[in-house]
Amino acid sequence: MSDHLDDRLAAKPVSRTRETLQTLMANKLAVAGLIALTILVFVGIFGETIAPYGINEIDIPNRLTGPSGTHWFGTDDLGRDVFSRVIVAARVSLQVGFIAVGFALVVGVPIGLVAGYYRGGIDSFLMRMMDVLFSFPAILLAIAILAVLGPGVGNAMIAIGLVYTPIFARITRGSVLVVSEEVYVRAARSIGAGNRRIIARHILPNVMAPIIVQTTLSLAFAILSEAALSFLGLGVQPPNPAWGRMLAEGRNFFQQAPWMGIFPGLAILVTVMAFNFVGDGLRDALDPKQKSVIESRGQSV
Amino acid sequence: MRKARTRWRIAILILVLALAAAACSEGESVDVGDETTAAPAETTEAPAETTEAPAETTEAPAETTEAPAAANILIAAQGSEPDQLDPHMTSAYASFQVLENVYDTLVQPAADLSMEPALAESWVISDDNLTWTFTLRDGVKFHNGRDLVADDVVYSFERIIAEGLNGWRFGSVESVTAPDDSTVVITLTRPSPNLLVSIAGFKGMAIIPKEIVDDGSIGTSPVGTGPFRFVSQSPDEGIVLEKNPDYWRASEGLPKLDGIRFVQIPDAGTKLTALRTGEVHWIDAVPPQDIESLSGEAGVTVGRVPGGDYHYFALNQNRTPFDDVRVRQAIAHAINREEITEAAQFGAATANQTAIPASNAAWYYSYAPFGSGDTATAQGLLDDAGVSGLTIDFLVTSDFPETVTQAQVIAAELAAVGVTVEITDVDFSTWLDMEANGEFDAFMLSWIGNIDPDDFYYAQHHSEGGFNFQGYSNSEVDSLLDAGRVETDQAARKALYDQAAQIIVDEASYIYLYNPDNINAWRDEVGGYMTRGDNAIRFEETFLQ
Repeated sequence: MSDHLDDRLAAKPVSRTRETLQTLMANKLAVAGLIALTILVFVGIFGETIAPYGINEIDIPNRLTGPSGTHWFGTDDLGRDVFSRVIVAARVSLQVGFIAVGFALVVGVPIGLVAGYYRGGIDSFLMRMMDVLFSFPAILLAIAILAVLGPGVGNAMIAIGLVYTPIFARITRGSVLVVSEEVYVRAARSIGAGNRRIIARHILPNVMAPIIVQTTLSLAFAILSEAALSFLGLGVQPPNPAWGRMLAEGRNFFQQAPWMGIFPGLAILVTVMAFNFVGDGLRDALDPKQKSVIESRGQSV
Repeated sequence: MRKARTRWRIAILILVLALAAAACSEGESVDVGDETTAAPAETTEAPAETTEAPAETTEAPAETTEAPAAANILIAAQGSEPDQLDPHMTSAYASFQVLENVYDTLVQPAADLSMEPALAESWVISDDNLTWTFTLRDGVKFHNGRDLVADDVVYSFERIIAEGLNGWRFGSVESVTAPDDSTVVITLTRPSPNLLVSIAGFKGMAIIPKEIVDDGSIGTSPVGTGPFRFVSQSPDEGIVLEKNPDYWRASEGLPKLDGIRFVQIPDAGTKLTALRTGEVHWIDAVPPQDIESLSGEAGVTVGRVPGGDYHYFALNQNRTPFDDVRVRQAIAHAINREEITEAAQFGAATANQTAIPASNAAWYYSYAPFGSGDTATAQGLLDDAGVSGLTIDFLVTSDFPETVTQAQVIAAELAAVGVTVEITDVDFSTWLDMEANGEFDAFMLSWIGNIDPDDFYYAQHHSEGGFNFQGYSNSEVDSLLDAGRVETDQAARKALYDQAAQIIVDEASYIYLYNPDNINAWRDEVGGYMTRGDNAIRFEETFLQ
């Protein structure tokens, strides 16, 4: 009996998801970002099939040749096809982005939920730990972690994931603090719902909006971090291509072969921009406060 | 309203780009190769194109041609910053570029790498080859005005033995004494035909005055006997040297310059541009890919001689299956040294299957048993050894980016015989740790500045050698290398080292790749300078016209 009442109290208007999507689709930049992301994910999955050359096909006589019909993005210092390497590198960038942010999400959100819901000593303990992580500059912390774990893609994922964990914990905790004072939570508690049930059914769904926005934006920064780590030689190991590493290698040949650095740089730019546009669009669509501002602006025009 | 939002988005974009840039530059300051942690002997010259820092140009004055006082000052650009100026303590090539012109050694390598008199004008060897008596040149003064005496030589050598990086070079020395002010006597525990190279092969064995050690100024304000004396070092000016009027070759009109200013330009492209525009007169290295275009340019001379350095890689013989000589030989056959050389050095190097380059005429031994990308022989050897699906964990360091390039080429070449190469790229200090701890299937680097065959082979291949990290052990090689250390007859000594080299190459203790050329470049107004086989940077006979 109480369960039914409880469910009804938690019921949300179905139209909200649709409304969110509509707002998102009305945002041209967000749509452009979504299209770019779709292409990126496609390339990430089928990159090796699409690539016209093998990523490690060394061809010294044809090194450092400019973009042409045979090599769209030119060749690098070992005569490898830059286009193929840029395409294949998309996979590892997206992988690192998704897995690292997934890690941060899976670790950070529960920490935020527990800290925000139970408060008290556990809150202080968890959040002070997060503060310690937060007090380091992100890239420096990632480098420090990799110095301990050793270079490599897997370790880069862990490092970036750890770096982004406190952001998720903080955002979740902040929202939980607000939501747990809401009437429907008090009502659920008053009719005897357990803590676990309240967190899972009432709190979590209502703090998802900022977490979704943060996830999208974090993906952009995680990919950027991976590029930075690979640039420093700490991420993807050669001969496997990674945008950051290609950028680093291209720097030595910038005068003879600017295409070695420009194209991987553009790939990073497009990817990060796409995630940012989508993230901004989602924020506009999901955040009621932001939305009301936009609406009022629309009315005033 | 829409416009404002667009602007806001552009601002975000710019922020993202700025963050990207920040992410890169932040890391650079972390990743800069740590010169100071370099192992004593196993340092490679930091190639100019490796330098990590971005266009951090040291401002060179535009008015070099105007001020008459500055007209006879050479401006030399270095690719990296000297870590310190104590010749006994530094292992940074950038430091030695400067110190080469400030200090002298007891004797010194001539242009052909034979040893010629320097502070000692002559020496006599006893009949039992165990006592060497050096007579010092008269009238040599330190830059502080004090006369050089034999006690300074004794003090310098004792300091190197006690605390310097090169104490091991005195392995056969029992004592160094000064019976009078102009005589130094070195007694040995065993005949040491390579003694001169050991104790005076480079400026790490410099003769210093005790007083600058006592007052602690040796690291920042060196005082030597060389052609130039140290004036100042500052971030703005670089390192300033001035003519030493009391130089012991002053009667020959040396040095010809009034002074030298060393400026540090870490970015290879910026350094090259500084030479092209005349901001600097001389640069310490040219990125291999730029040599061809620079050589054809008017107003610039590229000095290029075959160098004594060698690049190699080694397989860990403490691990299976690399303890099987056939596996090592298979890999030595399967790689294509010419392709590797061209890929990494753009032809500015000579492929070699042994260590000693042809330019080292006294000790060169022509021997090349391996094929060039000979996959058939390689596959046969692997089949004999019963090895298939082999994976090699290959240790390289981005601080010497040619190792990363070479490993990638080797990976592609070995794929043809079904061998997978997994590259581990770490910073140099980590690399040194991992090498010393045996945490590798294969490692790759280079050895620089060797002249005597003992330097080329003993530490690396003797079963008790200090740098035998690959775990090579062959009693025949051990006894040949031991015999070579004490054999005083040149021809007999060469025969010993030829035999040792042949076994070392055959058994692929190291898999040798190539000897890179030494390259400097200077403007046409610079005269009297030449690029040397030992990479020593000497400006005593240099002039500006």
